[in-house]
Formats: sequence, C-alpha cells, structure tokens
Amino acid sequence: MLKLHNLSKVYRTDEVETAALNSVNIEIESGEFVAIMGPSGCGKSTLLNIIGMLDSPSSGDYIFMGENVAPYGEAKLSNIRKQHIGFIFQSFNLIDELSVEENIELALLYHNIPASERRERVAHVMDKVGIAHRAKHMPSQLSGGQQQRVAVARAVVGDQAMILADEPTGNLDSAHGQEVMEMLQSLNEEGTTIVMVTHSPAHADYARRTINLFDGHVVTENLRAAV
Amino acid sequence: MFENYLKIAIRNLMRNKLFSFINIAGLAVGLAAFILITLFVRDEFSWDSHWTRSSDIYRLENTYTRPGQPDRESPNAVDPLKDIFFDTFREVEDITRYFDAGMTVRNNGELFGQRTLFADANFFDFFSMRFLEGNAANAFATQSNVVISQRTAEKYFAGSSALGEVISVRIGDEFRDFVVSGVVASPKENSIVVHDFILPFNREYFVGARWFTEDWRFAIRQTFVRFAPGTDMSLIRAELPAIVDRHLPKGQDGMETGRDWSMTLSLVPIEGVHLYGNGENGDADVLYGFLAVAVLILLIAVVNFLNLSMARTAHRAREVSMRKVLGANRSQILQQFLGESVLLALVSLMIALALVELALPYYNAFLSSLVQMNLLEDPALLAALLALGIGVGLSAGSMHATYFALLRPRDVLYSNTSPDAGTTRLRAGLVVAQFSISVALMIIAFFVNQQTEYARQLDLGFSADNLIVVSGTNGSQSETFKQRLLASPFVEAVGRSSDVPTEGSEDRLHIRPLDGGEPVMLDGLPTGPDFFSVYRIPLLAGRYLTDAEADILRKREENASYRPDANIVINAMAAKLLGFETPDAAVGQIMPTDLSSTLRVNATIVGVVEDFHFDSARDVIRPGIYYIDQMRQSDMTVRINGGNRDAAINSVEQAWRETFPDTLLSYRVMEDMVEQQYQSEARLSDVLLMFTILAVTISCMGLYGLASFTAERRTKEIGIRKVLGARLGDILKLLLWQFSKPILLANLLAWPAAFYFLNDWLNGFAYRIELDLLPFASIGAAALAIGWMTVIGHAYLVARANPIKALRHE
Repeated sequence: MLKLHNLSKVYRTDEVETAALNSVNIEIESGEFVAIMGPSGCGKSTLLNIIGMLDSPSSGDYIFMGENVAPYGEAKLSNIRKQHIGFIFQSFNLIDELSVEENIELALLYHNIPASERRERVAHVMDKVGIAHRAKHMPSQLSGGQQQRVAVARAVVGDQAMILADEPTGNLDSAHGQEVMEMLQSLNEEGTTIVMVTHSPAHADYARRTINLFDGHVVTENLRAAV
Repeated sequence: MFENYLKIAIRNLMRNKLFSFINIAGLAVGLAAFILITLFVRDEFSWDSHWTRSSDIYRLENTYTRPGQPDRESPNAVDPLKDIFFDTFREVEDITRYFDAGMTVRNNGELFGQRTLFADANFFDFFSMRFLEGNAANAFATQSNVVISQRTAEKYFAGSSALGEVISVRIGDEFRDFVVSGVVASPKENSIVVHDFILPFNREYFVGARWFTEDWRFAIRQTFVRFAPGTDMSLIRAELPAIVDRHLPKGQDGMETGRDWSMTLSLVPIEGVHLYGNGENGDADVLYGFLAVAVLILLIAVVNFLNLSMARTAHRAREVSMRKVLGANRSQILQQFLGESVLLALVSLMIALALVELALPYYNAFLSSLVQMNLLEDPALLAALLALGIGVGLSAGSMHATYFALLRPRDVLYSNTSPDAGTTRLRAGLVVAQFSISVALMIIAFFVNQQTEYARQLDLGFSADNLIVVSGTNGSQSETFKQRLLASPFVEAVGRSSDVPTEGSEDRLHIRPLDGGEPVMLDGLPTGPDFFSVYRIPLLAGRYLTDAEADILRKREENASYRPDANIVINAMAAKLLGFETPDAAVGQIMPTDLSSTLRVNATIVGVVEDFHFDSARDVIRPGIYYIDQMRQSDMTVRINGGNRDAAINSVEQAWRETFPDTLLSYRVMEDMVEQQYQSEARLSDVLLMFTILAVTISCMGLYGLASFTAERRTKEIGIRKVLGARLGDILKLLLWQFSKPILLANLLAWPAAFYFLNDWLNGFAYRIELDLLPFASIGAAALAIGWMTVIGHAYLVARANPIKALRHE
C-alpha cells in the first residue's frame, strides 16, 4: 500500500529547528491494520499527517500505491487523498451546521457523483454504522459515540482503501470506544487498510502490528502473536 | 454542490444572527448611501445628453476680460461669430441661437410671466424634439407662430387642443398676437434648453436696442454649434484666440471697443454646460466631493464586512479543513466563500434598493433634486447595480476566501491553538482604516459646516433682511411707482440703483490719487440718494448723497449728459487706496475721475461709507465709488415692514399694477439672493453631515460586532485573570484599551489627511475660518467615546461573568 523511505520532517521556527521525524522507514501492506504508539510529542501525528498527505516530508520518499508522492504539490495530493484516504479524528470534526447525512455526503461532494447515487451510498453507509435513525439530526444532538460513528461513515463512504484514525477513541468512554474499535476491525476484515494512532494498549491490540515511535524514530515494530 | 454551499451559508447566517444582521445591514446601508449619492451625481452629469448627436454640439461662450478685473463670463456669444464660424471652420455643420428672455404674456385678459426663447429658424432642426401637435417643418411657417411645450399648453389651454390658439406677448410697448403652430414634449428637467415658449427671432422686435447688431460688447444670444462627427476639437479650440485677434474691432476710443478689454471664446460640450458652462449653477468639484464621500462610505461598509468575516474565520476553519481533507481544492474553497459573500452582497443590495426607494422623496426634498430610480426602464442602471453588488461581494469576500483557500487543515484539525491568531492584527488594521475615514469625515464635516455658518454670518456691511428688489423700474413712471410704494404703511423706505448687492458691478472708474501716482481703479455703482439708507450702510464721514442738483451726475431727461463736476461718495477702502489717512481727510477733496477714457468728471467726495459686500460674499470687498445717475436706476430696493410680510408684498404688487398695468411685477428677496450664494456650500455641508453620521454608524456597527466576538473569545482569558485577582474595573480597562488603540491610531492618520484637505478647500474663500486644534482633539475624543459606548456593554458583561463558568467554557 505505502512505503516510507528515510523520511524526515523538520519544523523550523525563527530560531529553533525541531526534527519531528528522523529517517523513518515504514512499509504498510494493503489490508493491514497498523497501530502507531508512543508518548506525546514523539511524532505520531506528524507521521499520520504525512501519510494522509496533509503535510509533506522535508526529505525522503513516500511511495503511495507505487507512486512517489513526496514531491507532489497540494493539488495533486488533494486528488490522491480524496480517492484513497479516509480520516477519523479524536475530536470527530463534524460540521455543526450540517445534519448527519449531510456531513457524510460532504465526502462525496468533491467526487462528481450524481445526487441520486450520493443518497444511496450515504443511506447504505449509515445503515452499516447503525446511525440511519439519526440521519436528520445535527451533530450537537448526538452522543460522542454516535458522532464518531458518523465520522467513520464519512471516512468510508467514498470507498477509500485506507483509513487514518487519530486517537479515534480518545474522546469516548470505554463502551463507546470499544464499539468504534469493533467497527474499524470489521472494516479491516472487509479489506480496508487502517492506520491508527492510539494511546490505549487495549485498542492497539485490535491491530495486527504496532509501530512504536520515540523522538521521531521507529523504535520497535511488533506483530501480534495470535490472530 | 451549490445546494450544499447555500445550505451551509444560510445555516451559518441563522446561527450567528447578530453577525449576520450587522454584516448585511451595514453593507445595505453603505450601498444605499452609495447608490443615493451616485444617482444624484449621475443625474447632474446627465444633462443634455438626450439631444440627437449631443456629443457633437457645443455652446459657444464669450468671456470678457479686462486687465486687473475679474472676468465677466457670459453664457452667450456675440452675433457676428455665427458667420465667422461658418467662414473659418469647414467642420461646422450648423449653428443655432436663441435669446432667452422673461416676457409678459396675455391670455384671456390675464397677464403671465413667461420664459421665452426667441429662436433661429433652424432651432427645431438643430434640437430634435417630439411634436405632440403640429410638426417641425411648419413650426415657424410665419413670423407670428409660436411653439409651446405640453406643460405650457396645459397652463394656458387646459383641456383643449392648443393648435391654432392665439396668445399675446408684450414686445416693446405693445402686445403682439402669436398663433400656436405646434406643441412639443415638455423640456426635460436636466436640460439647459428650457423650450416652453419658442418664438421665431425677429430683429424688428429689438430695433433701438444695441443688441443683435455687430456690436461686440453685447453677447445676448446663446449660440450652439454642431461640428461634423470626429472633428478634432483641440484644433478648433487652438484657432479661437486668432479669431478674436482678427475680428474684434479695435477703435481709438478705448472703452467703446476692444482696446481696454478683450474676449476669450470657449466651446463647451452641451452635455457639460450645466456643470462647466458660464453662468450655470452646476459645480463639478462639489460633485466629485460627493462621489468621494460615496466611495468612502462604501469602503467603510466593505471593510466592515471584511472585518466581521475575518472575525468568524475561527468558527468556520474546521468546516474548511474538513472539506479540504475530503478533497476540496483551493479554487473550490475560493468559489464557495466568494459565492457566499456575493450572495450576501446581493441580499444587501436588495435591501439597499428598498432603502433607496424609501429615502428618495426625502433625499430629493433635501437636495432639491429630482433623482429617480426606474430599474425596469433603465437597463444600464440595473446592470451597473448588479455589477456593484457582485464587485462589492467579491472584494468583501476576497480576504477571508483567500485565507480559507490557503488554510492548512492540519493546523486546525490537530491543534488546540486558535487558527485565527494571525488575523487579529489584520482585523485591528481594518478597524483603524474604518475609523480613520470616519474621523476624517467628522472633522471635515465639522469645519465645512463651520465655514458655511461663518460665511452666512459674515458681516455683509449692509442689512439684508426685509428687502425686496423690484426690477425694471427705469421708465418714466418710476417716480410715481416710488411714491405709491412710500404711501403704503408696510413700506419703510425705497432706494434705487443700477444693480444690487450680490450682483456685482460692471462699471470701472479710474481716479488719480492726490499724490499723483498711478490711477487707481474703483468699482462704480450708479445709485439714487436713498440707496444707503435702505441698505443701512453706515456713514463714516461727511454726508450721504441727496436730491440736490450738485449731487446728480446725470439727470433723467432727453439727451441727458453728465455734469462736468458732481458730488460722489466712496467707501472706506477706496479712501485708503486713494491715500487718505482717515475717512474725514477724504471729505471735500476734488478728484479728477475717468468714467470712461473719454469722459472725465471732477468729482467732489462728500461722504465716506463703511465697506460692504457688493459682489458675492465669497469674494473680497472691493473699493467702490457711488454716484447718482438717474438714467441708470433699473432696480428699486424696498425695505418692508417685517411684521407683515404678505401685506407688504401685496402693497408692492398693488402699487405696481396701478403704475404698470401692462407688465408683470418681477421681484426678488434680498435674503434669498444672499442665501443663494451659499447654496453650493450649504448643500455640501448638509450632505457631508448626513453621510458622516451614516459612516460613523456603520463603523460602530462593525465595532459592536467585533466587540461581541472578542468578548466571546476572551472569556477564558478573563476568567483566568479574575481567578488571579483582577477586579471588574481592571477587566473593563483591559477591554476598553483594546478598542481604544485602533481608534487612537485612526486619529493619528485622519488628522493630517483632514487638515490637508480642509486647508486646501478653505483657501478658496476670501474670508475663511482657521483650523484650530481643539475641534480635531474634540472630535478624536468623541470618536473614542462613541467607540467606548459601542463596546462597553459587552465588556461589562464579560467582565462581570463568573470565572468558573468562563473556565468551563472550553
């Protein structure tokens, strides 16, 4: 699916240079479920941003589906991103002014899909995450777990091959957290590649592989023993 | 997609009702003001553009020049110029002229005053107008035809066809009959050609008058020249001085011909005559001033919009980021937000148009204008307004649309810091810009108002109230008329002169000072003995003129001639100019005075009066000399009893009817004549005041919106400060200071700009006020106070809030 080769990211302010990522080499196969762990400030989010093409590396290569996207500009990245990558955030990032179905539909608006097909796909994915009965509700009328399910639906409605989840359970209580994790697991079983940043070892256990980051380096990679 | 944009735009509007209201209302008010002003300016610039081939038509004007004197600008041209133009320029296609006069008309035994054009035969070929009855070809079939306008037809022949009706016009001493040969559409309000009553020009009517001859001293007829299309006017204009050189007669007798004076010719495009022509009351500079105010107000409204939109960026950054994550590219984001603000601008435009429609009657009354807005009949206006709305929307939305297009989603979606940190300074800058304009407008409006008041209260040197000026009193019956007036209990005094104050004098007399130096030039005014008492002009030394034989320079009689010696009165300025230390020193002095280069009189100064304004109050007072010339006393000034004005005017009318039964009384009120001189400034002052109030209001709306926004955003900070011990007063001070800074800075920018502008403007006045610092400071303080009043409500609420609540806010 993707391959990071000697990838570094340096942030510069007026006086200080901070290396957020330092010669990172990671390979993720299609259909994998990978967890990224590490203490705060270790570079997890930067890594996820670069994988999600919301940020560009300072040096190194990023091969995404056989293409080196590291030198690409915003317009090209935006195109690849909308085709292949879905996002789930800790704070859900739903749009307050749009209803549940409109929030989900937003992901299809930039794909030139006819309205009738959009409605069908949104209905289908709402069924899948069990939020159909809330279709007309506004985000503020939903619980945190429900909101995150909407966010998951939005991430997959465009048939994205890969989902990037940034602490998807961080704002949820344990019951709702587990619900979301099970949803991700079932998506993975259907073939979606999932890359997830998490603080929770329990939730990391849903992944088949865990990458530990520390100070911008990959420290260890463990495969889960039993499937 | 569009539906989605629309939906989210509307929901955002509904969600932030205060912001939305301020945004839309501010822009609507700004647009309405802009539209009102530009409609008026457009109206003023649209004069006489309705004539066929109007862009090829020019009015030929004469300006008389004499060294050391103000030019005398005539709207007319002398008669010989018509043939000269045809001979000189191949490009001249046609020339038409008319003599514009107020005549007395008799219809069914009743007398009417009637503005009349004595027009050349080709008038209706030259000026295309619609004939409701009759036709252009037969309009002037005979010399006793008259063409009238629709409104004139209604005035005289209401309800029936006017064609073939007879109407009498007093020409010379007799009434002549004219047959109506055509009725044309009423003249447009925005035209200098007031074609209500058009007679064929006939030189016989004016036999005896020196007008309409080859005499270059009398420019009597308005003269319009049509040039071939594409004529290079700069080449034509370059020839004009040579025409004067070649054709202006130069005699030996100085004043009588072109030796002591000369003339310049000008060709004014007919579309510009109202604004730039000689003797017209349009003032292009004032219009440009209006236009500048309009643009500034629109700018304030747009800045308001920019500022409030920028204040809301934080709120919508999440939406934009999410859209980008989901694949929106920059141009899509740009489109969305530009589209949104264009939509808002168009909504504002609709409201503005409604406001304009509501305000127009009051606005027209205020400006005594006839501005109209007929969008359906005026596609150009409609298109211009639409373009205005879209343009305003695009510029008002440009800043936050660009900001959003460049926004990086990771900055918003992953971070806790507010995404708009970078825009705070920008927004403060916009407030500075807005208040700079507002403060500058306030200062300018204040001083323009002060100057207008100052000019109004300027001591004219005479008392203008309760004076009525009756013209046309030069005839033999005038003494009878005067006695009848004085018999009325409502008339206090009657004075006579050839001209009256505000009109200026055209006589220039030369006197050699006692020390034998160069002759000085004085403005001469033929008066009667009673002139000074009617105008209440104080005597400084000696005495006023009387009816005594020696005081009369020329008597009213057949073949009257000037006395070789006569008594005169001068003003204080003339006394000083002639070298007298005091007014008393001048009394009794005999001065050789040149009435013209061939007429010398030994004048004895018998009195010196206080200086008084005779020209416009905008000009400086000039040295003057006053003498009795009974042949030149066409104006009679009547001082009436102010207690019963209507009765007084009635008694003047009655005295006139008894004395001159065949002519109509024409009179003017001196107070109006004085006021007329300030009209242009007064109008500027009023408009400026009105629109300054608007500008300040819009600025405050913006500030109010911003304050509510800031209050919301600083809630947490203020909570922390309060937990750390800050008191209500400290917090209020903190918040007020935040809004004081941009206003203070705005003052710093506004003061020099206003000073520079005002100083320049005031230099155009002979008597002007000085620019004190105090009003600047007061207005600055007022702006600050207005700003405080605007924000204090929010500041107080935030400062008073329970800190616990504030800290849970996040």
